[in-house]
Amino acid sequence: MWFANDRHVFALAVIVYGLSMVYSVLLWRKGFRQDNRVNYWLLLVAFGLHTTSMVQRGYRLNHCPVSNLYEATGFVCWTIVTAYLVVGFWSRLRFLGAFASPVLFAIGVFALMPGLDPRAGVSEAPAPDVWTSLHAALMSLSYGAFGLSSVAGLMYLTQEHNLKFRKLQAVISLLPPIQRLEAAVGRLLLAGFVLLTVGLALGAYDLALTEHPHARPGGDLKIIWSGAVWALYLGLVVMRWKFAQGGRRFALGAIGSFVFVLLTFWGSNLLSPIHHP
Amino acid sequence: MSILVIGLSHRSSPVTIRERFAFAEARVPAVLQMLRETGIAQEAVILSTCNRVEIYAATELEPRQGFASLREFLVTCHDYREPLTDEIYSLGEPQSIHHLFKVACGLDSMVLGETEILGQLKKAYDTALQAGHTGVRLNKAFQRAFNVAKQVRSTTNIQRGSVSVGSVAVELAEKIFNALNDRDVMVIGAGDTSEKTARALLSRGARSILVSNRSHDKAVALAGELGGRAIRFEEWSKEFANIDIVISSTSAPHYLLDRARLEPLMKARRNRPLLVIDIAVPRDIEPEVNLMPNVYLYNIDDLQAIADDYLKLRSEEIARCEKIIREKAEGLLRHSGQRGPEGAGHPALSHKGAN
Repeated sequence: MWFANDRHVFALAVIVYGLSMVYSVLLWRKGFRQDNRVNYWLLLVAFGLHTTSMVQRGYRLNHCPVSNLYEATGFVCWTIVTAYLVVGFWSRLRFLGAFASPVLFAIGVFALMPGLDPRAGVSEAPAPDVWTSLHAALMSLSYGAFGLSSVAGLMYLTQEHNLKFRKLQAVISLLPPIQRLEAAVGRLLLAGFVLLTVGLALGAYDLALTEHPHARPGGDLKIIWSGAVWALYLGLVVMRWKFAQGGRRFALGAIGSFVFVLLTFWGSNLLSPIHHP
Repeated sequence: MSILVIGLSHRSSPVTIRERFAFAEARVPAVLQMLRETGIAQEAVILSTCNRVEIYAATELEPRQGFASLREFLVTCHDYREPLTDEIYSLGEPQSIHHLFKVACGLDSMVLGETEILGQLKKAYDTALQAGHTGVRLNKAFQRAFNVAKQVRSTTNIQRGSVSVGSVAVELAEKIFNALNDRDVMVIGAGDTSEKTARALLSRGARSILVSNRSHDKAVALAGELGGRAIRFEEWSKEFANIDIVISSTSAPHYLLDRARLEPLMKARRNRPLLVIDIAVPRDIEPEVNLMPNVYLYNIDDLQAIADDYLKLRSEEIARCEKIIREKAEGLLRHSGQRGPEGAGHPALSHKGAN
């Protein structure tokens, strides 16, 4: 891939995610009645391209590439596809790719939007301090976990609909039991919430150290936005464990919250003097 | 030497005739011995199940003569004197090989694709093998039949899914709950289908079973048989908080459980998933409860429809199975120095085929 820069390689990976999404539509139509390796291989190829682009950028900048929106979003995407490739090793879980690929494609397209990657042509950039790197990595991992949680939520809703209204489809599909899916939504969401909390705490600590002029309550839109996202996920966690609100409402909450994150992440970042000086 | 098949099955004759031709298991080696001593067959296997009685014979006789002799042997063996028309079928090569493969694959079974027949066929073959009544031809044919059955099972969907109401209920439970071994079942109404369904769930590991019936004595009796606990009919809702699966089959003329009554019960259960199987006619459970979150309701028609759809799916696989069978049968006949269906050495006979 010497002829292409890391963004080109990432764009290729996103195209393959898109191919996988198109193929996934066929799997959905067939009701997940067969183990399909094609999707796994497509996502494996995309993973290879995606990893190559991250390595290329890491070498170019000489540090871990999670310091701007493009890099962080790409890292979220990479976390999701890596998790899928690991669980997809078991043929019974390979169908998960059909749910993951639309999310991967959406995140990938989002990452490629203009304005998210100011360091696209930079040959070397100063490495961010350790707290900033940790903050960015943990935030990316938390959004990856929320992404996976929404994927599991989508599977839950599909299987729930099948069990109630398309009964044969429910028994012949390869989807796991609905109770297991519900547990997966809850655990991934809780893991994401813990990572988000720690990531935000590290970010706050980092800002306090650097004494950034916008580092005050209400001084930066991204900080307000992050607080809102944290409260949103806290609400879901409380709803699940305190009020036993599992099932459909919880799955919809997990999906809706992640869609909110996807739709507002870019805007809040662009309007943030701290994240987009 | 060619392989001939003669016999009766659920397709060709009613049980009243099949039962007259059935061979007791202990008698089979002696009958095989007798068959070989008559000179009709050099090798033979007898398959006798509740749905079929068949003799697979490798013989040097001309097919027509072989069929007549085998038929005479079968009738005499059972001292059957009533007139027979099309009840007994006879198949010569290559149909006999196709038939053997189809039987092994469950394609000729009453429940399409069932696997019990393969075990019965293996046992029948083993009985003949142990007594020394098989040789090169039947050994090859049967070994190949077992291989074909394995291939069909692993590469097609002919054996996929449940085709009885009880096993469909179990499959649904397995699509709702993580595992059945920590699930508690309640049976309301001590009917035959509910008992079978409860047994199916218990066989998959359900933890406990409660039985409630208007006649408490019946509840006690069924609970005793199932290894569960009987509760009075008026008290079933008190136990509801701990229940995961409800099987209802009372003869009540009205709904036993409706949405208004279930809503507070679900709160008490902290909204854990609930599987409700309503096999009563008229129905015991208001259909509206299926619209409640975490409640999954199936009535007898739903379960039967799934079983029927499974059978339909299996039927769609027949063409794929037959293609495999045809290829393997032709391969076997080529290997045995015979010719396939295009140019058999002797006419392929089929008197009232079973397929």
